[in-house]
Amino acid sequence: MTAATKRREEETKRQVERAIGRSGIDWTSVWFSGALVVLLLTTLSILLVLIADILMKAWPTFQERGITFVTDGLSLNPATAGVFTAIVGSVMIATIVAVISFPIGIAAAVWLEEYAPNNRFTQFVDTTVRNLAGVPSIVYGLLGLAIFVPLVRALGLGGSSDGKNVLAAGITMAVLVLPIVVITAAEAVRAVPYSIREAGFGVGATQWEVIRSHVVPSALPGILTGTVLTLARAIGETAPLLVIGVATGYFAPAGDATLADQITGPYTALPVVVFSWSRQTQAEFANTLAPAAIIVLLAVLFILNGAAIWLRNRTEKKW
Amino acid sequence: MMKMKRTAVLIAAIALIAAACSSDGTTTTTTSGSGDPSVGGTVTISGSSTVEPISALNAEAFRARNPEVGISVEGPGTGDGIKKFCSGETDISGASRQIKDSEVEACGAAGIEFVELRVAVDGLSVLTSAGNTAVSCLSFADLYALLGPESLGFRDWSDANDLAGQITGANAPYPSAQLTVTGPGEESGTYNSFVELVLEDIADERGQEAQTRPDYTASANDNVIIEGISGSDTSLGWVGYAFFLANQDKVSALAVDGGDGCVSPTPQTIADGSYPIARPLFIYVNKEKAALNAAVDLYVDFYLSEDGLVNVDQAGYIRLADYAAVRAIWADRVTGMQSY
Amino acid sequence: MTPTLTIEALAGDPKRRRKERRVRTLFASAGMVSIAVSILIMVALIGEAWAFISQVELASLFTFGWFPRRGFYDIPTLIVATTLIAGIGMIVAVPLGLGTASYLAEYASPRARRWLKPTIELLAGVPSVVLGFWALTFISPEFVQRLFSAAPPFTMMAAGLGVGVLITPLVATVSEDAMRAVPIDLRLASYGLGANRSVTVRKVVVPAALSGIVASLILALSRAIGETMIVFMAAGAVGGALRTANPLEPGQTMTAAIAALATGSDQVAGEGLAFQSLFFVGLLLFLITLVLNSVSNRFVRKYRERY
Repeated sequence: MTAATKRREEETKRQVERAIGRSGIDWTSVWFSGALVVLLLTTLSILLVLIADILMKAWPTFQERGITFVTDGLSLNPATAGVFTAIVGSVMIATIVAVISFPIGIAAAVWLEEYAPNNRFTQFVDTTVRNLAGVPSIVYGLLGLAIFVPLVRALGLGGSSDGKNVLAAGITMAVLVLPIVVITAAEAVRAVPYSIREAGFGVGATQWEVIRSHVVPSALPGILTGTVLTLARAIGETAPLLVIGVATGYFAPAGDATLADQITGPYTALPVVVFSWSRQTQAEFANTLAPAAIIVLLAVLFILNGAAIWLRNRTEKKW
Repeated sequence: MMKMKRTAVLIAAIALIAAACSSDGTTTTTTSGSGDPSVGGTVTISGSSTVEPISALNAEAFRARNPEVGISVEGPGTGDGIKKFCSGETDISGASRQIKDSEVEACGAAGIEFVELRVAVDGLSVLTSAGNTAVSCLSFADLYALLGPESLGFRDWSDANDLAGQITGANAPYPSAQLTVTGPGEESGTYNSFVELVLEDIADERGQEAQTRPDYTASANDNVIIEGISGSDTSLGWVGYAFFLANQDKVSALAVDGGDGCVSPTPQTIADGSYPIARPLFIYVNKEKAALNAAVDLYVDFYLSEDGLVNVDQAGYIRLADYAAVRAIWADRVTGMQSY
Repeated sequence: MTPTLTIEALAGDPKRRRKERRVRTLFASAGMVSIAVSILIMVALIGEAWAFISQVELASLFTFGWFPRRGFYDIPTLIVATTLIAGIGMIVAVPLGLGTASYLAEYASPRARRWLKPTIELLAGVPSVVLGFWALTFISPEFVQRLFSAAPPFTMMAAGLGVGVLITPLVATVSEDAMRAVPIDLRLASYGLGANRSVTVRKVVVPAALSGIVASLILALSRAIGETMIVFMAAGAVGGALRTANPLEPGQTMTAAIAALATGSDQVAGEGLAFQSLFFVGLLLFLITLVLNSVSNRFVRKYRERY
């Protein structure tokens, strides 16, 4: 072994040792990991600041008014204005949405996943549903304005609002959330293992019997979670309602008004109240009443979300 | 299967609760308040968005006394409102101008008789920043040169000099200073009043469309307009008189010359008609509906009572100097257009 | 004695078979509703949009601003403002959303993830009217006007930042799903080669999840373009707007233009084709978001197929 070779070997050894036992820090990695943490914290703090800011602005209203803010109806006087009328409107809309969109949406999902042959047409239907889910909500408002409001009027259900009532709003919102119901329900149905179905077919059940007594019950937690979240979406939407003529002025039902009168009369909804109060000229409406209405709206949505999580946890099945 | 049934029951329960909540709404809202609960029925009010605040405040106050009455107030605009009124859809229509002959014909063709009631006066204020001392009075011609349809693109007061030179009554030349304009948007009654009262005649003379320049900051919120006007020392804008009153520390109102000299807006000059940009506000009442529906009848009574007129102040408008004539028209149910 | 099994018995009760067919038809018709809705949307939009296009003077489509009540329908005004606001939104949402997604998918412990993920979903559940209010009453005065003292209260900047907050959770959740769909084997191989976590994320996970990440970004862009309330409330221009590309001025997007025209009255006040123009803008918006969503769905399908 020559001295030169030995020197070369030692040099290599030193370099390998340095590479493996590197004491230097990989700054790119540190910088990258740090940046991720900062970005995450920024996102979280936006949420925090948003909620804190709105809560702080809303606080005086709740302090002064307490529960009466929730039980009082529309008023032009900031001292007596409350969200009750809006809650009634939102509940009525949500009920109509549930009645229309849940059965149709779940049935469509079952058809797509269980019955539909795997061909071009089925794929087309599937793509259509996905595309509808991405259509901006205001476009559904135009759909309601051009078709559903005249439809309600033509059916003689226009009432004192001339078709601009919760029926038109409910149908419009139901159509808006329908693709979301289909997509979430289809996912839940797809997650049911095939063996469940085979067991049913094995004892001679028809496809409908298998679906009714096995597939749907097994998929129910997922379906329910999806539908509850869908309701949250319908309750939070504003833009389509503005287009189809939700009342932004003052109204109050007559003393002898039946439920039918209310359903066909003028209406408002929680997010619409947030919007119209934010542009009232009396400063109290924008400064403290609109934030308080936001808190009520968020509380309703959080309760719905909580219900969805509770349903999921309570009924979740592990395969 | 069990589980599914239970869920179905749960969903049904939720729906029932929802329905119960909404019918609860009827009962709680109808039994609250004090007054004469014997009057029922509904009052439907549409029309001018300018009149809407008075009608809505009155509706709320009226309902507090007559909790069985149903009321709805909307403000799509004078024209749209009268169209509905003349087809019998509404009981009362607010208007920020007098009814037109063509509209009277439409009402007549539908067999609808109306009672015209003047309820208030709306005064507009032409504003600049409180820091602006160079200008104190503008004529209609000045306002046309600075804000009219031909002023598109003027970013400096002096840009309007040439145009002002062509119009009699203008006080050109103007100083060279930045011109920032803030005002209500086209959907607002205040916009229409400004155009009709200030710009229309000159625009007609010059063969232009009666409208303002489109390039100004428009807002539906009067507080924002005040902010915009106070934001620049040499600004120009206009709002309803009430909003000037509430913000005198930030903005100052210019005197306006409508041909009879400079007049500053005050409650007196607006009420007596000497301030040139003021206009009467009306409500039109369907005579037959008022006769058939006690709620409509009582609502109009309330509108013209002292308790109702408080809401004219509340909404930011000026009361008429004397309501005796209007009350007499209502008492006698005099139909058709009145002359003033 | 056992009953003999006949072909008829195997085929089942005809009543049951009839029921089966009825149910199948019923469900299939529910499936067709989505197609019916699409057709309805097209019918609703195209009728009035065609009335607009066939009657409008072409010159009024390219003027100085969007003033539909006066017959100035400058489409570029709406396109510029829409692009600008969506662009500002994306500038906010891309780093925040992707950073959050990467942290959640690759760094967070399962326990941290269990409460971080619902928190991000909470932000996703905030209705746009709330963010619109917040953009107007917080982002504008506390942020935009502090940074740029000359800014008016209504700016496209404030609206754009609000839109960014709206779409951040969308980017985060969809990208995170895509990253978590990357098989663990790829990560293990990367660690086996001596790479640390940061290198693995940058060089292995992100490239592998790229189609899903791209899908999330396109989806977010589509959402930003279709967002109404934030822009309607915070970007000012109620009646109309001048064409401007300055984010510190008010502006009118396609969505806000529709909302502004339709609010308050069922038939739009004003003259000429204002009412029809609303459906033309709606059709334009529908087509733009349709293209974006189709592209996004294609990317999603790609990563679903790969793993």
